[in-house]
Amino acid sequence: MEYFSYLLPLLQFKVLWAIGLGTLGGIVIGALPGLTATMGVALLIPMTFGMAPIMGLNMLIGIYIGGIYGGCISAILLRTPGTPASAATVLDGYPMARKGEAGKALGMATIASAIGTLFASIVLATLAPQLATVALKFGAPEYFALSLFGLTIIASLSGDLLKGAIAGCLGVLISCVGADPISGVLRYTFGVSGFASGFSFTPALIGLFALSEVFTQLENLGRSDVATGKVSGRWPTGKDMRDSANALVRGSIIGTIIGIIPGTGSGTASWIAYNEARRSSKTPHLFGTGHAPGVAATESANNAVCAGALIPMLALGIPGDVVTAVLMGGLMIQGLAPGPMLFQTRPDVIVGIFGGTFVATIFMFIFGMALIPLASKILLVPRRILTMSIVVFCFIGSFAINLNPVDLYTMVGFGILGWGMQKFGFSQAALCIALILGPLAEANLRRGLLQTGDDLLAFVSGPITLLFLALSLLSLALPFIQARRARRAATA
Amino acid sequence: MNKKIAILAGLMGSLVATAAHAFPDRPIQIVVPYAAGGSTDLSMRLLAESLQRHIPDSTVIIRNQPGGGGAIGTSAVVHARPDGYTLGSGAQGPLALLPHLGSTDYTLDQVDFIGLVSRSLQVMVACKDAPFTDFDSFMAYAKTKAPQIGNSGAGGANHISTEAFAKAAGIKVESVPFGGASEAVAACAGGHIDAMVVSPAEALPQVQAGAVRPIFVEEDKRIDLFPDTPTAKEKGVDFTWSSWKGLFAPKGIPAADLKVLRDGIKAAYDDAEFQKKMTDMGEFLQFEDADAFAKRAEKDSVTAEAVIKDLGMYQMNKK
Repeated sequence: MEYFSYLLPLLQFKVLWAIGLGTLGGIVIGALPGLTATMGVALLIPMTFGMAPIMGLNMLIGIYIGGIYGGCISAILLRTPGTPASAATVLDGYPMARKGEAGKALGMATIASAIGTLFASIVLATLAPQLATVALKFGAPEYFALSLFGLTIIASLSGDLLKGAIAGCLGVLISCVGADPISGVLRYTFGVSGFASGFSFTPALIGLFALSEVFTQLENLGRSDVATGKVSGRWPTGKDMRDSANALVRGSIIGTIIGIIPGTGSGTASWIAYNEARRSSKTPHLFGTGHAPGVAATESANNAVCAGALIPMLALGIPGDVVTAVLMGGLMIQGLAPGPMLFQTRPDVIVGIFGGTFVATIFMFIFGMALIPLASKILLVPRRILTMSIVVFCFIGSFAINLNPVDLYTMVGFGILGWGMQKFGFSQAALCIALILGPLAEANLRRGLLQTGDDLLAFVSGPITLLFLALSLLSLALPFIQARRARRAATA
Repeated sequence: MNKKIAILAGLMGSLVATAAHAFPDRPIQIVVPYAAGGSTDLSMRLLAESLQRHIPDSTVIIRNQPGGGGAIGTSAVVHARPDGYTLGSGAQGPLALLPHLGSTDYTLDQVDFIGLVSRSLQVMVACKDAPFTDFDSFMAYAKTKAPQIGNSGAGGANHISTEAFAKAAGIKVESVPFGGASEAVAACAGGHIDAMVVSPAEALPQVQAGAVRPIFVEEDKRIDLFPDTPTAKEKGVDFTWSSWKGLFAPKGIPAADLKVLRDGIKAAYDDAEFQKKMTDMGEFLQFEDADAFAKRAEKDSVTAEAVIKDLGMYQMNKK
């Protein structure tokens, strides 16, 4: 009973106001490419200095949840992932918008985001201390096996296996640019100091997905200059929801688990969830053509990461991803060092944060649903004007993130690359996955070798490592098994 | 046409008029060479807020320019116009270490210091399941086998300082680089490495939870947060290390303006609200004027240079 009394401060008007404002601000920040949830939280921390912990922290959590959700708006409408977390949403969200189902795609994304966050919040509130220890089990071999499993997604996602593999290898090679993770030596920077940290991820994504699409549309400009015109209603049909149930469940669970594992984040979670939803679907061929379950999987996963990443942060003082690392700074400023002690010394703060994630999710759902008709009006803008505005946003967004002019070259370069890939049937998704997981795989392989004195055996022992390696093999073999079964069925 | 000339003349007139105003008459930018949200960024935001209160009519804003371990933002400040409107957050890595690796287009000689407001203290902790629990057992273990010590990035302050300690103590360590301090803390609490160096504020919750144990403090005297933990010095290893939070500027700022800034940072440091918030955040407050700060930077740079040469990393990234 005592615990419920800790929830009462959440009902104060000023606290609700702060959470609501944070969530709405987060949605806007997330929808604008170049402003990420991480930046939003970081920039608003100083505002929370003078607030009570429950109010300040929950406002930041609102920004986080709103920000990760908001990224889907531009991903679906403009093929521009607002935050890296929404890159996978482009795959089915954008084709849906082009089919005139923008409203439904956004509606599905909003429902999925709410379900994902709610699921992870329930896990957070009930099982946080028990599950948090998962975060401690991951050493270099476990991370390597996880990233290897992630990379096998490329095989099943890219359609043409050879072209997918080429795109994946290219992504891994591109991610070698910058400082070597183990020795610190600069690789392939050609003396340009701006590349010292490698190609920045957000500008690369903006180029790869948004600018490349602009180029493609410019090619078609003379032929079809019709605005999509139709934006459809915002509520998915009962059939859509039934089709997506499986994707929602998988997305929520995968997102929560990936959230708990430090050093990975919503980007990884949404790709794995997308692949899992597609693999287990009865109609896998519909994915990528504007299929609602595709959106449901990625958006439930990336939002489940939000609350999932709070689990090790609150229970162990170890942030689950980049945003929670920043949030931890916000807690420290309040003189609250997260960790097991905080559960005993300040249960009011912990319970307040648990409650705050629920409140922020409700706000996110209401604001999201209310904003859909407004946001999707953007598709009524004539194509040629819209396209040119996207170009401007590509540049502003890429520069705003680090104020590094080299990021603009990165964005344009990846735009041309993405356009070429699209034209010749190479999977941009494969390249994107490799950009996320390539560095994780490399750093952990080499760290593991360093720690074990070049003993490869460490990479094939331990239950978690073996589990992920088995999953990788399965994921690689499955397309062949399925093809064989289909052949046999055809001959029989 | 005449209208355009009139507007132009008006604009130019306004430029002349502002130039006659006293420093500062437009916003002062502090470049933080790291992403928003880290401890350097938050300290600088508190400092900016306090500076604004103590330099009359001033606006102080923070600009985050991350990348290259801090080299990109720091380079932007070193090469900025020396008019006092672009200042840098004086961080140890990019100023005292990276130039020795050859990855920067500047050196420590090219900057003027303004003042130091706090230091980040360093504690070596034994990780979960480590084969040692205190200084003596740590040293005994290190004599037989190189302990694996995690750091927040190859060639960063955390890495070089650990190697500098090993050099001073006459032991061998195996440095294991991670992609940031929080990844290293996770590996430490999970028992995947033997030891690491963290700030006392970061270490405290982990120590209270029993996941890690403090071995020694890299200070002259014991610190309040860990009164039972010895310093390396009292154990006979002459080694201290801490990183800095302060301000620097490109060389060549007019003397009068530089004085405004140096007086300003002193007043900002003395501000009660600034001190309270910094302490809450776990920062170790200490003021050093420009000369003392410059000496500290010089000393750290010399120590780092020797260690980097020993590691064979000297000028490895030279173009």
